[in-house]
Amino acid sequence: MPIQYLITLAMLATLSGLLAMSLNLVLGYGGLLSVAHPMFYGIGAYSSALLAMHAGAPVPIACIAAAVICALASVPLAACSLRVSGDYFVIVSMGFQLGVQQIINNIDLTGATGGLNDIPSLFQGPFRDVLSLGVLLLAAAVVLLLIRTLIHGPFGRALTAMRNDESALAMLGRDPMRMKLAIFALSAGIAGFAGALYGHIFLFLSPTQFGLESSTALLTMVVVGGTATIWGPLLGAVVITVVPQAIQFLNLPVSISSPLQGIIFSLLVLVFLFLRPQGLMGGRRGGGGLDAWSGRRLAAPA
Amino acid sequence: MERAAAGGARMSAVLDIRGLRKSFGGLVVADEITLSLRPREVVGLIGPNGAGKTSLFNLITGVVRPDAGQIVMGSTRIDGMTMAERARSGIARTWQHARSFRSLTVLDNLLLGVHDYPGDSLLGSLLQRRINRKREREAETRAMMLLERVRLAHKAHALAAELSYGQQKLMGMARALMGDGVCLLLDEPMAAVEGRTYAIMRDVIQEEAERGQAVCLVEHNVGFIRDLCSRGVFMSAGRVLADGPVDELMRVKELKALYFGAAA
Repeated sequence: MPIQYLITLAMLATLSGLLAMSLNLVLGYGGLLSVAHPMFYGIGAYSSALLAMHAGAPVPIACIAAAVICALASVPLAACSLRVSGDYFVIVSMGFQLGVQQIINNIDLTGATGGLNDIPSLFQGPFRDVLSLGVLLLAAAVVLLLIRTLIHGPFGRALTAMRNDESALAMLGRDPMRMKLAIFALSAGIAGFAGALYGHIFLFLSPTQFGLESSTALLTMVVVGGTATIWGPLLGAVVITVVPQAIQFLNLPVSISSPLQGIIFSLLVLVFLFLRPQGLMGGRRGGGGLDAWSGRRLAAPA
Repeated sequence: MERAAAGGARMSAVLDIRGLRKSFGGLVVADEITLSLRPREVVGLIGPNGAGKTSLFNLITGVVRPDAGQIVMGSTRIDGMTMAERARSGIARTWQHARSFRSLTVLDNLLLGVHDYPGDSLLGSLLQRRINRKREREAETRAMMLLERVRLAHKAHALAAELSYGQQKLMGMARALMGDGVCLLLDEPMAAVEGRTYAIMRDVIQEEAERGQAVCLVEHNVGFIRDLCSRGVFMSAGRVLADGPVDELMRVKELKALYFGAAA
């Protein structure tokens, strides 16, 4: 029982890590605050599950297809970021989030509010959880390496420049719009892949799992871990997944423990934004993430 | 200087602006502007504050779109293009306030000025790593040469944010030259710049014109304009009032009254 519990916790932490790393691409490196990230996780989970259930796709193929679907689904949202930024973009992304959630809530294909059952499993047999955890850890390692390579390379340099001064970068012949579309697509693809894995491991999906509560938790992970850092989001995901579990050991009634989690998340974000805005892993401030976002808000129009 | 102007007039224009109009609500920033920039010429845009000089740069580079009129480079219309496309077709620009990428090193600032580099795109950055390394080395060599020219080679690995204001303007100049453009627009290159930096900036501008670039600059420093510009374009309230050799412009009484006043 405790082993089983720990494996499940590790799986959830790794999934959150994947999701946080992908959000960090958009928020930390792209300088765009989108709250719609769990939406891609959800779209990925549902598309992969439905492809496997109704189209008979093998699970790995369905997961990859889900990643591609999410990358494509990110285009409309990314296109909005080209026209609105800062607070306005937060609201637009929230609209996307709620809209997609309502669609999932209301069509039969997705099982509506009742959720989706009988999703084909990634692995069978007695070792399915250990194997699943292995796959998740492998996926996290690959994503980490991918992001690291990308950020330390020329594209990462251009992203930093884009956060510093978008027009100056465009004047050098770089297209910030294309860069944003690309970073969004990659980010949504990773989130969708993670969502697909979630579905095939936990075998049940419900629209409530991809709501604004998860957006806040996700944002907390990235901020606490450190925006625009390679390891930060992963670390933040582990902390934010494990801490609420620890609260449950206190044996508090649900009426107290569940608001307590919300309070802890909010407090963490506030404490970090005031005392350590660069997060756990952040070194000196690099003009990334929320920095770029708030900087743009404060900058007087020229 | 006179020689350059006379020679330039016969050469075909690098950039042709025809009947350009732009207004923001009731404020007209460009009123039927027609202007040609030719190779080897240094054109000074002069005029009082709010005359539309920087707005003209913004229209040429694509920061804002014109309401009417054409901008032609060589034989291609560029007024429908994005900023990035215009830059790639040969327009380079510096900004009044250097606009450095502050969290990058001086060298990285310059490396971003190279066009057509596979590492610019997300997939290219990941997949074409061998070509990237080769291009990166070539670009670094070029960047170091430019940094030598603006006397900033010793700062190559410093963060741009650590440079002085004058050094940032020199870096901005070098960054604009990385793309090998044919038309160089300089927005107040000499503002808040003096002494050694002034001399370096002047030399670089002169050299670029001699290499065949069409240079156009906005500047309030009258001495500098006399010193460097072969042709002056006087603007006021979004209109070109006069276009000719700087010395002649300076003799026109009306223009003096509008702008030079105490300075002349």
